[in-house]
Amino acid sequence: MPMYGDLGNKLVQHAKRTQNLTHLPPYQTELVRAVTREVRDLDKDVASLLEPFQGSFDPSADQATACTLLVNHLSMRRNKRCLLAYHRTRTDKLEELVWSGSDVLDLAGQQAGGGNGAGAAVDSGGGSSLSPQEEDYFRQYGDLLAAYKGQWTDVDLTGSLEPPRDLFIDVRVLKDAGEIQTEYGAINLTKNSQFYVRQGDVERLIAQGYLQKLG
Amino acid sequence: MSYYDIDSILTDAEKIPCTFQVDIPDLGYLDNTPTQPLKAGTKVSLPLWLAEMLAIANTGDIEGKSFVTFDLPAALGNDVVQALKADPRAVPLRDQSAHFYGLATHMMELSEEQELAAVLRKTFVARAAEVALHARKVGGVGHKGKGEEGSNLGIGGAGEEFLRGLDEWERKLFRKAHDGAKAGKEWMEGVKKH
Repeated sequence: MPMYGDLGNKLVQHAKRTQNLTHLPPYQTELVRAVTREVRDLDKDVASLLEPFQGSFDPSADQATACTLLVNHLSMRRNKRCLLAYHRTRTDKLEELVWSGSDVLDLAGQQAGGGNGAGAAVDSGGGSSLSPQEEDYFRQYGDLLAAYKGQWTDVDLTGSLEPPRDLFIDVRVLKDAGEIQTEYGAINLTKNSQFYVRQGDVERLIAQGYLQKLG
Repeated sequence: MSYYDIDSILTDAEKIPCTFQVDIPDLGYLDNTPTQPLKAGTKVSLPLWLAEMLAIANTGDIEGKSFVTFDLPAALGNDVVQALKADPRAVPLRDQSAHFYGLATHMMELSEEQELAAVLRKTFVARAAEVALHARKVGGVGHKGKGEEGSNLGIGGAGEEFLRGLDEWERKLFRKAHDGAKAGKEWMEGVKKH
């Protein structure tokens, strides 16, 4: 028996699953659209129910209509809560990803590789698991964080909280990362090469998966 | 229980048996008969988010009648309560409802069931101790030096059965207890080294 709120519930179940994942599953474009459509339909129902009363509806005089209105109202409120919770779960995750230094392009690659798309998000922008709005949010939150971090040039706010055992470490290059400048001159990070570098210089690159720490 | 809390939202979707007290022409779809009016006295299973408000809303009726009356869901029925009284640890709560305690707390807010509340309290205390016990065993905190993953592989028959029957709240408790024990162990190992 399908009823109002069922679709919203599905959305929240998606959110529940998302909480336990390390990556972000595809945005449920279709489902979100269906839930908002349901809200609009309910709103239309309410308007047409109230129409004959010309703004002077007395709930105690017409209990049946009052109850229908209440059910419609509650269904809309429920849908709203489901929608907000779904999106908030995802933005929380996005913020986490920004702090950990991944970028949107990485996410898109992950999605293409996983091939687990429910088909819903595929139409929303080049195989990304984010909605266009979410990509925007991600970018702007990233800018915000960068601006915030910019206030302290000698502290890396997104750096590792683990105190390093050694100042210098061995790393292997997993993906070409171009040339980087260090205190001891420039090094060219080409795939499969190995370097003995200062940990602080390459921490970001390790987090982003360009380098692998050895030993 | 925040507005955005996913588990709280899912708990609100749990259904409870309701009986309509008023004829309502437009709500036939709730009883799967969209073309027919919903008659007073019809029994329908409604999700908490709907049932709760319909039960407490003022109809404007002089006798103070509400739109629906509700009964306790089967998950809190007599059978379950008797089983919980006998041995709380032997009942797989998850089979009753994935959000058993959430549902129960909600029902307690709507109706005063002193005895049920007492049974539930005892149930949680007894089961929480058991959860803590299992959480320490899993992942080889006590024995088996390198149980790194903290997977469920280590637990034997009866324990597995019990853990499968945990409701969502108890699962969280289990995870916290387990992670805590593991982190504590890792810290101790770090202390020895330096």
